[in-house]
Formats: sequence, structure tokens, C-alpha cells
Amino acid sequence: MPRIHYLELLLFKTYADLKAEASRTYLSFLWWVIEPVLFMLVFYVVFDLLFKRGGGGDFIPFLLCGLTVWKWFDGTLRMGMSCLRTNVALMRQVWLPKILFPSTIILNNTAKFAVVQILLLGFLWLYGYLPTRVYLALPVLLLVQLLLIMACTYWLAALEPFLPDLRLIVNNGLTLMLFLSGIFYSADRIPEAYKPYYFLNPMAALIDAYRDVLLDGAWPNWTHVGWVAFGSIAGIYGAYIFFRHFDRIYPKILL
Amino acid sequence: MAHNCIIRLEGVGVAFPRQASLRRGEPFWALENVSFDVREGETLGVIGRNGAGKTTLLKVLAGILKPDRGILINTGHRVAMLSLQLGFLPNLDGRDNAMLSGILMGLTRAQVRARFDRIIEFAELGDFIDEPVATYSAGMRARLGFAVALECNPDVVLIDEVLGVGDADFRAKSAAAIEGLIRSNKTVVLVSHNADTIENLCERAVWIEQRVTQAQGAVAEVAGAYRLSAASPPGDGSGPGAPPKV
Repeated sequence: MPRIHYLELLLFKTYADLKAEASRTYLSFLWWVIEPVLFMLVFYVVFDLLFKRGGGGDFIPFLLCGLTVWKWFDGTLRMGMSCLRTNVALMRQVWLPKILFPSTIILNNTAKFAVVQILLLGFLWLYGYLPTRVYLALPVLLLVQLLLIMACTYWLAALEPFLPDLRLIVNNGLTLMLFLSGIFYSADRIPEAYKPYYFLNPMAALIDAYRDVLLDGAWPNWTHVGWVAFGSIAGIYGAYIFFRHFDRIYPKILL
Repeated sequence: MAHNCIIRLEGVGVAFPRQASLRRGEPFWALENVSFDVREGETLGVIGRNGAGKTTLLKVLAGILKPDRGILINTGHRVAMLSLQLGFLPNLDGRDNAMLSGILMGLTRAQVRARFDRIIEFAELGDFIDEPVATYSAGMRARLGFAVALECNPDVVLIDEVLGVGDADFRAKSAAAIEGLIRSNKTVVLVSHNADTIENLCERAVWIEQRVTQAQGAVAEVAGAYRLSAASPPGDGSGPGAPPKV
């Protein structure tokens, strides 16, 4: 089958999954908006109302900048990790390139994230953070994060059939990472000596970059962003090779 | 009858790991040594008892599994199983499911759209095509699945004892459609444990027993040999047990 056909399959499968998901609830597509708002509300209640962490009142935009992009990353990884296992019936009836399954999940979550991101930008503008020249960097940051999500999701999806225990490790690892990525605090609060280590976490680097652009009107640290992009592309390539190599092993080991 | 050989299997064996792990344990051989040819335009019957490795063999032919031993030569033909309700999502309507299933089986969106009318007519769904598949009866779902599968036109069709879905009328219709496929010039590999089915529909046959090719050739001879052995089952239960259903 020509490659263009797989693109068509990817698009239609994603569309069908989204539609099927939406039709399972009364509010259907409204959940794309409600769910992230609820998610953010939780953190707002805890940190702003309970801990009075608000300070000058700009804590909410600060928090949301981190949380929205974090949720895109976290949600895709959690969902994508076990996608070969959930598609095993399909895999046993027709040959498909296995990388298609995580790709569908990534596209699915990216579509949902797009809605949230637009809401966030609208919110920031209402709050007084108007677009500036540095918004030109925003598409680049979004693309780099997409690459990072692809690299991580592909690798997790590729390894999970061999190491089912990975799921438990990743679930907790993601929670740890949530607290290490500077969503609730600024990278400025990290002691200078630890900063190089702190920015080894690609999500910490990206969240810091998003805030530079959206809140401070400053260009992001391109060295950090560049390293994340480079590492992600290498990761995607590696995962692609891995998938190709184990392509016809997966239907055997997944039961 | 100067048919070209389009797929050849030589000493094909397929091993399954006993446990999903990166470590290599002692594998289980679902097929050990299978050799035969598939010729262009013929209907080849594969006959064997439950657990002989027939389903595994179809997966090898379809390219889903790779032989761990021996070789498979496919001279560039698209081989696919006749799969019913492939990838169906119960919350979506019949149209979306037909589209999804068709694309999964290798058609383009435009091709599925061009075949929609035929699919709906064959499945006898009428206005139900716009309802969620979850609201269908089992028979309706089977009919839609069959109608889509029939429209997907691979070079070689693999059929795993799926003759007859739905109620009696539709069973007759689907059996007729499959027979039409078989009588046409299409290359078909039909798998069954029933010697009569194979004898009625196929020109040549392969008999697989204990994961090894026992015989191949004209259907009458192979089916005859299979029936003889069926009268006195081989192995006295000495085989290592049924392989896992894949």
C-alpha cells in the first residue's frame, strides 16, 4: 500500500476515535473544553485558594501556561503507552505498520490540546497579556513539544508489550515529573547550581520557554529548545527503527 | 492450466514465545514444516483438524506473522484475510464503520465512497446505515461486515471458515457471494476442517496435520487421504497438545 494511504488511515482513524469517544457522553464534544477546565480548576483551588500561593494575582496565568502544555504531554503518554495492547485484535487480522497506533493517539490528543491552547490564549489576552513580536516563537515551541511527545510516546508504546510493568513505572514517573517541571513554581527559584540539572528535564525547559513567550514577552532560550528538538528527532528515528524491527513480533507476544 | 505460482512456502515454521518478555525462553512451534504453492487464479483448500496450525498459516500468508524458519516468497501480491467487522467502533454509524473498515483493508476513501451504495444494498440495511452499529442486531452487524469485506479487493483472498453469517436468507446470499469469488479468476485460499467444503469449492488442496504438510495435490486425493486419517485419528493423543489460538 502506498504511504499516502496510511496518512488517510491515520486521519480517518483519529476522526473516528474522537467521534466515538464524544458519542459516549451526553455532553460529547463539550468535554473537550470542560475536562481541561476542571483539571485546571483543581490546581487553582489547591494553590490559589488553599495555599494562598497567588501573590500578585498573576499566579493563575503562570499556572495555566504550564498546566495546559503539561496535560498535552501527560495525557498522550498515558494513553499511548498501551496502544499496541488495545489494538491487538486489529493487528492480528490485517497487517498495518505498528507505528500507526501511537500516531493515532498522538493526533487525537493534539486535536484536543489545540482547543485548550486556543482557550488559554484567549484567557491570557483577557487577562492583559497581549500578543507580542515573540509570539513568532510559539509555533516553534509547539512543534518542538509535538516532537518530544512523539519520541516519548513511540518509545513507551514500542517497549510496553515487552515490559508490561512499564505502565506502573511511567504512571508514577509522570507524577514525579509533574512536580519537577516547574508548573507550580518558577525556574528562577531553582538554585543556580542545580539549574543545569533542572533543565535536563525537557518539559521544564519547554514550560520555561512558553512562559518567556506568553507572559514575559521575551524570546525563549533557544539552546534549551534546540536540544529538546534534536533529542526528540533522534528519539523518533530510533523508535521508528525499533518498530520496524519488531513489527511482526508484536502480534506474537501480545496476548 | 498453466498457472503461475504467486506465493511459495518452503519449510515454513512459526514459533511463539511462551511468555511475553525480552528474554528468550523455549518457544512453541505453531507451525513446523509447511511447504506448498499458491497459483494464480486458483482456489486452494487448506484442510486440517483444529490445532493443526491453519489460522497461523493464514497469518503468515497475510504477512501478519513472519516465518521463523523456512521461506515465504510472495511476488508482490496483496494478500488479505476476509475479515468481518474489522475495526468496527460500536458508537459510530454504519457509514463511518464501513469507511473505517474499508480503509483498514486497504481501500482509499474515494474507493469506499464509490462502493457505498453497493455495500448498503448488499447488507440490506436501508436507513439503518445512519444509526450507530451498537443498535444493530448481531445479524445486521455481520451483514455490514461481510458487505465491506467483499468490496475490498486484494489479489489473494484468505478465507477462514466464515461461510454463512446472518439469518438463513443472508447465509445463502453470502455463501453465493463467496462461491462467486471462488469461481471467478480470483486467487483464493480457503481454510477448513471440513473435507466436503474443500472438495466442493477447491481445485487443489493442502493437508496440514501436526503442524506439518501431509499432502498436497488434486483435491479429491488430498481430501480422501484426510478422511481416511480422520477415521483413525493419528497420534493417539501423543501430540504436545493444541497450540494456542492466535
